[in-house]
Amino acid sequence: MARERDTGDTYFRPIRQILVGALVLVFFALFLLWRIDSPRAERIRANLIDRALPTYEWALTPVTRLAEMAEGFQSYAQLYEQNQELRRELRQMRAWREAALQLEQQNAKLLDLNKVRLDPALTFVTGVVLADAGSPFRQSILLNVGARDGIQDGWATTDGLGLVGRISGVGQSTSRVILLTDSNSRVPITIQPSGQRALLSGDNSTLPPVDFVDDPDLVRPGDQVVSSGDGGVFPSGLLIGQLALGTDGRLRVRLAADYERLEFLRVLRSRPVSPVTVDGDLVGLPSPRAPLTIRTPTDG
Amino acid sequence: MGSPWTFLRLAYLALFLSLAGAIIFIHLLPLGSGVGRLPGPDFLVALAFAWVLRRPEFAPVLAVAAIVFLSDVFFMRPLGLWTALVVIATEALRRQSGALRDQPFLAEWALVAGVTAVLFLANTCVLALFGVEQPGLGLVLLQMIFTVVVYPIVTAVSGLVFGVTKPRPRDSEGI
Repeated sequence: MARERDTGDTYFRPIRQILVGALVLVFFALFLLWRIDSPRAERIRANLIDRALPTYEWALTPVTRLAEMAEGFQSYAQLYEQNQELRRELRQMRAWREAALQLEQQNAKLLDLNKVRLDPALTFVTGVVLADAGSPFRQSILLNVGARDGIQDGWATTDGLGLVGRISGVGQSTSRVILLTDSNSRVPITIQPSGQRALLSGDNSTLPPVDFVDDPDLVRPGDQVVSSGDGGVFPSGLLIGQLALGTDGRLRVRLAADYERLEFLRVLRSRPVSPVTVDGDLVGLPSPRAPLTIRTPTDG
Repeated sequence: MGSPWTFLRLAYLALFLSLAGAIIFIHLLPLGSGVGRLPGPDFLVALAFAWVLRRPEFAPVLAVAAIVFLSDVFFMRPLGLWTALVVIATEALRRQSGALRDQPFLAEWALVAGVTAVLFLANTCVLALFGVEQPGLGLVLLQMIFTVVVYPIVTAVSGLVFGVTKPRPRDSEGI
């Protein structure tokens, strides 16, 4: 800005300073609002993203496709090695498939014998990953399904194989998924086959650590990790990954979902857990006063 | 102020906004989740600093605030705080833009490095003060250093490609 103009703005400068001060104050106030009433502020954010993202969407798709094609071209070069590797893996998988089929039949038989009532099959909505607001600091992605499609906060999302994260923030046509690796993510888990309960808490690394294991002697690297359904956060029994021992000696989880290629995600419609509060007229026999829940115990 | 001047200014304002929009856009592309990677430099801050120091009139405070706030919204940062701090930082630099015009680039870079450091540390301190969970200090410091390192590149690109250089004395005579 030239000096000449500065001198001409004698009256304008103080006013400008006041306006800038007001602007800064407004943003600080917004920060306070975010800190005090986070859900409301996050709703504002979801609405803003909902408005702004469609303006990006026309450009996001082709650029993403191009980048994927470039990536695909790179992998084209290693096609032969990949092919060999896949063949090897396929051979192993065949053996496993046979084992799985036998186990499935056996399991079905046992379930039938025990008259076990399973959870009604989870229904799901599939969404496309729109944008990836991921940075080393915040791990979340945006899906193209939202309140319009009946998405609700807290629902689990998987990539078809393993758990990816949970819905946190729903706009009219978009929703945000907090990944398991985010430092705000806490998921109750069960470690199979020992059935130990623990908490999977993200720490912004690729291998989130496991906290609060009941008895660490009973678990070992390689154990399967599934969601436990404690606290009603997630449906139980969703595959999360495999236990691994980190270089720092902590137990960590190698996630089953392929975090490098999140393209389509399934949002699982969680059935709200409805506690039984009415007694007496439910069935013929008078029921005890203790509140019953419909959920069946999952361990054992 | 004639109409060509206004037109030029509007054109550069539009350029600034679209550059910032492009930076946000590239950030949002769903290419990998950024898990376990090093934090990249904050290009938006570097761009705003470079333009505010070179041609303050091309990057008015409202444009800076709007674009940084948009990035706050999209990058899932705490709403508003980063915007407020960046606005304060750019205003501080804006005041220095006249004095820096005749200084070598190193002086400018040093000033920018100082302001960037204060900006990131202030953000970290305020977040800590309000008890917001945040990533490790190491990551923040890395991002700060990367932002400072990338600043000369941003200025070079702004100057060579888009012609955003410090106004020479005879230009300001004309204005």
